[in-house]
Amino acid sequence: MKHKEVCTEVAGSVWKLEIGIGAKVREGDILVIVESMKMEIPVTASADGLVVKLLVAEGDVVVEDQPVVLLELLT
Amino acid sequence: MTWEPELQELKRRQALAKKMGGDERVKRQHDRGLLTVRERIERLLDQDSFQEIGSVAGTAHYDETGELSDFTAANCVFGLGKLDKRKVVVTGDDFTIRGGSADAAIWAKFKMAETMAYEFRIPLIRLVEGSGGGGSVRTLETTGRANLPGGVGTTSGMDLCVRNLAQVPVIAIAQGSVAGLGAARLVASHCSIMVKDTAAVFVAGPPVVERLGETRTKQELGGYKIQTKSGTVDLAVDSEEDAFKAARRFLSYLPNSVWELSARGDIPSDANRADEILLSIVPRDYRKPYQMRTIIESVVDKDSFFELGRNFGSSLITGLARINGWSVALMAGDPYRYAGVWTASSSQKLARFVDLAETFHLPVVHLADCPGFQVGLDAENSGIMRHAVRAITAINQCTVPWCSILVRNIFGVGGGAHQPAGRLSIRYAWPSGRWGSLPLEGGVEAAYSRELAQSDDPEMELRKIEERLGRLRSPFRTAESFLVEEIIDPRDTRRLLCDFTDMAAPLRTPGRVSFGARF
Repeated sequence: MKHKEVCTEVAGSVWKLEIGIGAKVREGDILVIVESMKMEIPVTASADGLVVKLLVAEGDVVVEDQPVVLLELLT
Repeated sequence: MTWEPELQELKRRQALAKKMGGDERVKRQHDRGLLTVRERIERLLDQDSFQEIGSVAGTAHYDETGELSDFTAANCVFGLGKLDKRKVVVTGDDFTIRGGSADAAIWAKFKMAETMAYEFRIPLIRLVEGSGGGGSVRTLETTGRANLPGGVGTTSGMDLCVRNLAQVPVIAIAQGSVAGLGAARLVASHCSIMVKDTAAVFVAGPPVVERLGETRTKQELGGYKIQTKSGTVDLAVDSEEDAFKAARRFLSYLPNSVWELSARGDIPSDANRADEILLSIVPRDYRKPYQMRTIIESVVDKDSFFELGRNFGSSLITGLARINGWSVALMAGDPYRYAGVWTASSSQKLARFVDLAETFHLPVVHLADCPGFQVGLDAENSGIMRHAVRAITAINQCTVPWCSILVRNIFGVGGGAHQPAGRLSIRYAWPSGRWGSLPLEGGVEAAYSRELAQSDDPEMELRKIEERLGRLRSPFRTAESFLVEEIIDPRDTRRLLCDFTDMAAPLRTPGRVSFGARF
């Protein structure tokens, strides 16, 4: 099973988790919304996959390139 | 009687020089996934256009009868050539010969490559690998004394590199490990390019850094992710071939020197293209971002946007483009990155970019979305005001024609610096434009706390207040006072930018900038 970390490209705080563990997602689906400079910045899936782990919780402060979701890749 | 025997001797020596460091070293280069310097030059330039200079320069050994017994070429290959039919100077480091480090013949070659580009006012391309002519500890043994960097009669040549930055386009490509003087010569360029995963750029490599207790691989210390993010290198590409393509592409927007103007490219047939997406791309909810790069692609000539420094100072997008065939320097705020605020790094990027536009007489097009400078302790610790004022200095020293499209936020000193302050520029605002000295959001609850406390439905009251203020903040009110000149249909942006570049073209003036290159 191949896994992939999806990372936030911007620093900020986690505003909303849009998916839960077990959710099946397609590349481009919004997984997490990070609030950065008062903007709602979506973090999207970089591949088709299954959400196996949420690496952050709502309200967490995040830094650039921090992993936020772990996906199991669906080939 | 002819000079044929001498021509044969010349050919023999040139053939010896072309062996570079010998079969074993060449093979090692290939095994590492790297081309040799001669292969690079051949693939970079137009076919058969390379005129080498110093083709038989190097270290020769003679036997007792005075016959040439051995020959090692100088580890710099340089000459004239053509890049997309334009005359250029190219200089390349030969890593197969002593890792490209210092030896007698190469200094004169390095210097001549720089001065040739300068005197004949043609672009310079440097293919850098290794220490780029910098010293090696071994030189102590080969010369029998310690080298004083910049000692009497010597030079790093950096003065020549620096003056070229204000004279001709300088492009540098890094491959393999590039350190010390090599890294300096890479970075002293208008466009530095490195190849992902095979190139590493650093002050000094892992062995030196290890002595200070830091254990890093070459990629960990100077790989493309680090150097493009730090802003040291402008562009990272997937292969050497892509590096050559990028070099050609970068040059295509620029003139041969500051003494000329860039040539107009193909005149597009769609100057009036009015993409529907522009009418809806900016969300009404100002907390939601939009893809500024989609707007860029929609308003410039098709596929003509060439982005530079994407990973550095990412709240600002910078690149070269064509609008109605004319080369422009295009910059835009990225709402996805910190709402497009000026950070210390984006300010540095902005200053260098405006200087590039000024140096090569490229009109500036600014798709503005900037809520101001970054605030907060991190921002202050980064010296934001220092870097921002330097960027504003560059903008206000700029004399090229300038056009701003106010796409969304224009707040504060950062927002206000969307155009040079002291002269008339062209400016259009989208209906989504929103501006002020300070944004009001967050301040409403505090300023109207009494009204909200007294209301039966505070949420509704808040919305009513925001709606009322929102009407006052309408861009039309600003337009009534002629504080903003013209609000436009966003779909007209391309047509208006094509108009602008047509007007700007005759205003471009060749010549030297009033400042030298600044970093």
